Formats: sequence, C-alpha cells, structure tokens
Amino acid sequence: MSFVEFRGVTKSFGRTPAVEQLDVGIAQGEFFSLLGPSGCGKSTTLRMLAGFLAPTTGSIHVHGRDITHLPPEKRDIGIVFQNYAIFPHMNVFDNIAFGLVERGEDAATIRRKVGAALEQVGLAGYDERFERELSGGQKQRVALARVLVIEPEILLLDEPLSALDKKMREEMKFWIKNIQHAIGITTIYVTHDQSEALTMSDRIAVMEKGRVLQIGSPVEIYEQPASRFIAEFIGESNLLPARLARADGTSGAVEVAGAQVPARLAQPGLAAGAEVAFLIRPEQIRLEPWSAEEAPMLTGKVADETYQGALRRYRIDAAGQHLTVEVPNRPELAQLPPGADVQLYWRPESGLALA
Amino acid sequence: MTERAIPWPMMALAVVGFAYMLLPIFVVVLAGLTAGEFLTFPPEGLSLRWVAAFLQSEKYLSAFFFSFRLALMTMVVATILGTAAALFLARSDVVGKAALRAFFLSPVVLPGVVVGFALFAFFIYSGMGLSRTIWGLWIGHILYSTPYVIGTVGAALAAYDDSLEEAARSLGASPWRAFRKVTLPNISQGIQAGSIFAFIVSFGQFEVSLFLSAPNAEPLPIAMYNSLRYQFDPSAAAAGIFAITLVIASVLLTNRLVNIRRLLERQQGQ
Repeated sequence: MSFVEFRGVTKSFGRTPAVEQLDVGIAQGEFFSLLGPSGCGKSTTLRMLAGFLAPTTGSIHVHGRDITHLPPEKRDIGIVFQNYAIFPHMNVFDNIAFGLVERGEDAATIRRKVGAALEQVGLAGYDERFERELSGGQKQRVALARVLVIEPEILLLDEPLSALDKKMREEMKFWIKNIQHAIGITTIYVTHDQSEALTMSDRIAVMEKGRVLQIGSPVEIYEQPASRFIAEFIGESNLLPARLARADGTSGAVEVAGAQVPARLAQPGLAAGAEVAFLIRPEQIRLEPWSAEEAPMLTGKVADETYQGALRRYRIDAAGQHLTVEVPNRPELAQLPPGADVQLYWRPESGLALA
Repeated sequence: MTERAIPWPMMALAVVGFAYMLLPIFVVVLAGLTAGEFLTFPPEGLSLRWVAAFLQSEKYLSAFFFSFRLALMTMVVATILGTAAALFLARSDVVGKAALRAFFLSPVVLPGVVVGFALFAFFIYSGMGLSRTIWGLWIGHILYSTPYVIGTVGAALAAYDDSLEEAARSLGASPWRAFRKVTLPNISQGIQAGSIFAFIVSFGQFEVSLFLSAPNAEPLPIAMYNSLRYQFDPSAAAAGIFAITLVIASVLLTNRLVNIRRLLERQQGQ
C-alpha cells in the first residue's frame, strides 16, 4: 500500500469533470510531480489532497487512513501556493511562527524553531521584514520555511516557480530538490513545465483533461511516452506519420519518409500494417556517422539552420517530411548550408512507434 | 510614483463641480451664524446667538444625541450584517448570487420615501407593534445603512487573496481562527470604512425617519424639518452646523483609519 493513495477520485464542477477516476499511489519520501497543461486537473487534485476541495466520488488515503473528509487543519499537510500567500499583515517571523502558534508551542520553542527554519532557507536576519519588502525568491523561501517548520508529513507545491524569472527559477529548482532530499519529505509538485518535472521528480504523472495518461520516472516518460500527446508535451519531438512494417513483441520496424527504420513499440499489441506515429528526438539524430560501417536511417536536404549558441538546429526535408535535428555547436562537427544533401543517423533503439 | 499633470479643462470642471456641491454647506453655516431674527441669506451680520440658542434648546440637543445614539446602534448592527453578507456574496456559489446582491443593495437604489412608507405599512399591517417606535426606526436605518457596508467590504474582499485563508487553514488554524487572524485583519479597512459610512448615512437619514420616527424621539433631521415647517428659525441652521461638523469629523477619521493611498500602492506592488 502506498503512503498517499487516490482511490477512484472524481471531482466535478457542475457537469464538467475536472478530475476523472484518479487512481494514484505515492510512496513515502517520494518527489512526485503532476504535470500537464492548464485545465488538466492537476491543481484540483492537489487541492483535494490539501483538503480545500472534497472529491465528488472516491477517497483519499494517507498511511492507510481515509482523510477524504478531514478539514485541512487536521491533515498535517503543508502547501506552498503559486503566489506564496505570505500574510501581508505579519512580518516574516510571525508568518513562519503561525503554524507553531496554532499548535500551542511555547514562546521559547517558537523562537528556536523559527530561527532554525530561517537559517535553513538562508534568510537569517529577515525576521522583521514584511511581504512587500521581499523579492520573489525570498517570498518563496518564507513560504517554504512556514510550511517546513511545522514538519508536515506531506509537502504540496503548486507551481511554485512560475512567478520567478528564468535565472531564479533554475536556482530554486535545485534548491527545492536539495531541501526535499535532505529532509526526505514526501512531496507532490504541480507544474505545467516539463523541464521542472523532469529535473526534480522521482516520478511524474502526466495529466490531460482530468485523466492520468502515464505515470513513470522522468526517463520512462521522456524515452517511453505512452501516447503522441505525451511525446509532444514532454521535450522536443519529431513525430512522423508511419506504417508499422514489422512487429515483434516490443520491437519492430516502420516505413517512414520512404525508408524502413527499426523502432521500439510503445504498445505491445501493435500489429504489422498499423498506422503509427514514429517518434525520434531532435538530439538523438546525428548528421555524421560514428563509423564508416554505419548506414544512414534517412536521407534528405537541409531546409534551414538556426544558430542557438550551444546548439545548431537544422530543419531537414526528408521525402516530404520535416525533421528537426539538434547538433551540439562544436567546431569538429560539420556545418551545413541550406540545400545541402544530408544523411541522418541514430541508434536503432532511439526510434519509437506510437499508436 | 510620478504625479501626472491634470489637463486644465478637467481641473476647471472639477473646481466648478465641487463649488456647486459645497456652496449649500457654506450657505447653511453662514445662515446659522446670522445676527438677525430670521433664516436669511446673506446673513445680517455675524453672531453666535443661534449657536447658543441651539446649545440651550432642549428639543435640538435631545434630537442631536438621539440621532447620535441611533447612528451608533445602526452602525454596530449594519457592520456585522453587512460584513457577513459581503462574505457570503464573495464566497458562496449559490445560484442567483447576482440577483441576491442586487436585492441586498436595493434599499439604496429605491427612493427613500418608498422604503420608509413600505416599512411603515408593513409594521402597521403585520401588527408587530413596531410602527412609530425606536425599534422600528432602528430597523429602517439598519436596512438603509447595511448596503454601504456590503459595498466597502465587498471591495476589500475582491482585492483579498483567498489562498491566504487556505494557507492559514493548512497550517493548522480552524475556520474561525483563520478568519479572525488572517482574513479579518486584511479586510479591516473595508469594514472600518463601511461602518463609518453606515454611521453617516444613519445620522443624516431623512425619508425613512419621516415615516418611522416616534413623536417623542425625533432624529435631528426630522427635528430640523419640523421646526422649519412652522418658523423660519436660524437655530435649525445652527443645528446644521453641528451635524456638518460631526459628519466632517467622521470623514476625517475614516481617512486616518483607512489609508486609501497605501491600500492602492500595496495592490500595485503585487
């Protein structure tokens, strides 16, 4: 039995279901992400776990205990909101002390714990500041300290990085992951940003239209996406129309862009002759062979090239199909002008056939 | 924040507008300070004799303090009811909330005479013994003042971020404690402004009072009206001076309590 369990949870607002038949188990100490576009039901799921919304049907369990109808204050679950929700009429100290005061801790304990929490988030000496005197990153640290100081069983993070600028976002990504790892708290992270989910999570649930499409580790989600939607939503992808030429359990070959190339099968039930989508990631494709014996997978022409600093991005026209290829910007790799003939190479296991 | 220059035609319009609205107040004040026997404008010389007459008039003083007490009592109830109603309108998702809001605000929109007469008729026909009593008058004033509280508290709630209360809840606060420790302090300026509005509205209320006030307990506007009906006595204008002073004092108090500029800046800063 998992530490946190959603059992057949459905939440409808009026007639529209926001979350449908959710069955998810989350292990103790896990960093679990709910990933999906806006309106996919990930925030609704989080708010049900926090106790701000009641499921229409189904139940939620923590430690095997049914918490479906417990009010938020009885759940021992901490939440960091997208806008941080720092109490504007209290200074940083009183914000962080709030949960301890509600728990009836004595003044000396509160002082010691708040001090330690401020230390932990790198804001020692900020006790007297008010919300309006804090930067975005500092507000986030206060919001996190306010939650961690009460040592909840579960930490919920609702798009906590979306209000920060890019540089701060990168920094906070690793900082949050480090703190989570250090205290080992079960964490559920809601985001629409696939790169955040990939970098931070132990496991990811990809959601769309109120349903979970796939649950897996970042590697599984990126390399074995279960559907075209996931393949397109996570990372950059080339998805080409193809026909399954040969199917053999978990691997086979597809006809794509006038050639036959090997492919893994995303679904084991795929039969030869089926119309499929062929997935090959832009960074998996090389324009040069690794050895003289390596045969090209496809041939084509360079349509255009975009310089991106660390990368050169080529758009390749192969028998009427367009592919994006990312090549590291290194002097020993050839630079190709538009119109040049190219051969495309990749490892046979890089290609995936999707129903 | 840089101050933007206001174009002069707009400025001129504002000055004319304000002058037009404020002039009657000066007329009343000057008329109350007349040295003559009658309520005239311009005054026949200045003196404090009518002010003194007001301060010695049993009729006016008791009306003034009755209005003051009535306004305080109205303010207390209107503040509680109005805040509760604004919270309900902001947070519940019952069907027909817009209609309900319009209904709550209707006493201000309807002509005061209609509201006053309707209540008067209702009190008589329902046989509750409220017509022409202090309690009936109180109910009328509450009805008339509460919409102002709903308005200001509603505005404060619209600017208030509900996730603050949710954060308090998940940190361990019961619904009541989360409301008292987090929501209430953050909407208190709206509540204070609303309660002072309720006080002022009740203190100056005329139409509803006309139908509902008891002969032995007249609010100040009714006393002034009755006195002016039979004699053109400048002491009514002197009473007006005191009423105006009280209202201006409460407006200044509102300004002190509710720092509107800071409220706006805080919202912009987010």
